[in-house]
Amino acid sequence: MTKNLLKNSLVVLGLAIGICASAHGMAFTKKTPEVDPSMAIGAVTLLAGSLAVLRIRRGK
Amino acid sequence: MIKSKCTCASTGNCPSRSRRVIVLSRQLLGRLLMLGASVAFEYLFCFRSRGTVAGHLRIFGVFTDLYGQIPILAFIVFLGLGYSRLKTLREEIPFGRILFGGHFFCMAVVFSMTIAAQKGLGWRFLDPFGYTKSAVYLLATVLLALAYIPPRSWMVALRATGLLWLYALLAGVTGWFLGTTVKSLWYSTSTIDSGMMQRATLHEVQAVLGIFRQDVVVDPTTFTIGTQNNTIMISGGCSGIEGLGLVLAFTSIWLWHFRKEIRFPQALLLVPCALGCSWILNIVRLSALILIMNVSGFEDAWAGFHIAAGWISFTAVALAFSTATEKLSWVRRIPPPDLNSAGAPQPWSEPQGESPAIRAYLLPFLAILAAALVSKAASANYEWLYSLRFFAAATALIYFWPELKKLNWRIGWLGPVVGVAVFLMWIAPAGIARILGHPPAVNSLGTALAALSPTARWSWIILRVATAVVTVPIAEELAFRGYLARRFVSREFDRVSFTSLTVLAICLSSIVFGVEHMKDLMDWQHLLLGTVAGIAFAVALRRRGRIGDAVAAHAVCNLLLAAWVLGLGDWAQW
Repeated sequence: MTKNLLKNSLVVLGLAIGICASAHGMAFTKKTPEVDPSMAIGAVTLLAGSLAVLRIRRGK
Repeated sequence: MIKSKCTCASTGNCPSRSRRVIVLSRQLLGRLLMLGASVAFEYLFCFRSRGTVAGHLRIFGVFTDLYGQIPILAFIVFLGLGYSRLKTLREEIPFGRILFGGHFFCMAVVFSMTIAAQKGLGWRFLDPFGYTKSAVYLLATVLLALAYIPPRSWMVALRATGLLWLYALLAGVTGWFLGTTVKSLWYSTSTIDSGMMQRATLHEVQAVLGIFRQDVVVDPTTFTIGTQNNTIMISGGCSGIEGLGLVLAFTSIWLWHFRKEIRFPQALLLVPCALGCSWILNIVRLSALILIMNVSGFEDAWAGFHIAAGWISFTAVALAFSTATEKLSWVRRIPPPDLNSAGAPQPWSEPQGESPAIRAYLLPFLAILAAALVSKAASANYEWLYSLRFFAAATALIYFWPELKKLNWRIGWLGPVVGVAVFLMWIAPAGIARILGHPPAVNSLGTALAALSPTARWSWIILRVATAVVTVPIAEELAFRGYLARRFVSREFDRVSFTSLTVLAICLSSIVFGVEHMKDLMDWQHLLLGTVAGIAFAVALRRRGRIGDAVAAHAVCNLLLAAWVLGLGDWAQW
């Protein structure tokens, strides 16, 4: 029970801080040089696709 | 040739899947997901210029940016932790059309108020803090919540999840508080200790640069570093915080989603390792940027490199992390088989993981995306390495050709006809603008190409056209229609016939296709055009079940587009 609570709390805490921190860079204004939505879409798609390929069923 | 015959009828896989998606939208969990998606869409897309536009949404006189994260985080935590319990509530719930109509009306009012405020209309001064608009927005959101989920179903959800709503709210507040507090680490104006991350990054970049150059110039007060020729300023975002945030969010989601396959607490040790890698890669990125900018002819390299390198770093760290959780024996846990009461494996339990066929369908497209990142990293004004996409995709297609040649690549009349129609639709906005006498949009590509020697220019153009007409249509059709559309029908996507694609699968995959063609977050034009084009290509594919028809449609469209660009000099279309 305690282990589960600790695990869940740490994961939720990580998620919370992670989203808040990355939200800083996600202002989505054209003035921000760091943000390039088309590159972001491409990179996220690349990551999602790569993860899907890596999750190929084992044993085949 | 792969026969276009759906074998899922024998497994019972495909119909149950597609029906499940439809039924899900009538159940509580599906409605909660729809509610989250709708609110996020309206908030992000309708009020994007937050904090900078007069009349922006405020609650209690404070911009919603400041604590808008609380409900977002609370909702994510509520759904994440309550997922398994909410999934068991399978009662179909009605949809409140009248309430939805009320929501639509309220949103129209809010949107009108936003536009009026942007135009600086006088009535805004009657409500300078935007209380009226905020109140109408809150009312609209409540109406939407009740339209999707009636009060009785809300009560059922709250009863089923106990005190989870309270924990979720506390998590939301905690996340918001910590998120706001840690901002001082990279906001250099808030407190005396602020900007700590920028300072740390500055010192580490200085140490790395010192290995390669003697003329390093540093100004800690403005966080500026470089050489006597070129300097950069390490802003809050450049301090590495964005990468750390993205990595932390990714690793948390990954650990949560695959928690049954991962050992805890061992796996938690991987999180600081991933964060450390992200931090180091950011130092490497900034150091490399300064070094590249000091090479003659690459002074403008920062334009593409510093953004693309950031995304390459994040993707690399995320992939390394996920691979580690799968491959490291002290982290990976083999989940127990799904057993029935007698202890035997459930005969209907779904196979875990993706079908091995995914490699042949996705990797050519992923090769293009990876090549695009590298190409953009090496570019400033135009992508001189664009041909990398052609060779990357061609290599992947040749490698998987023994498997891909089993598909039906024959072409009928429908493919080219659809291609011409999609081209006309795609080019219509630019064509109408030309007819009305508006000059084409200014694009640096034409100028950059004009500065090249004729040999270099035509080499680039030939490979650009070959990429658009040959490799991109094949790779994208395999990825979006061959894989994604069928994946929305069944996990065993390679067993689903192209002729049995559902309307829902076609629409969803086409929306993703449209998103891929957006040039900006508010680029509605290309989102819409891309979505319609995706639907048209899918229709060409579905009619006879031949991937060749979709590829032909896509290739004809891109060929005509290339002719338009080269013939009229409308480089913005590329």
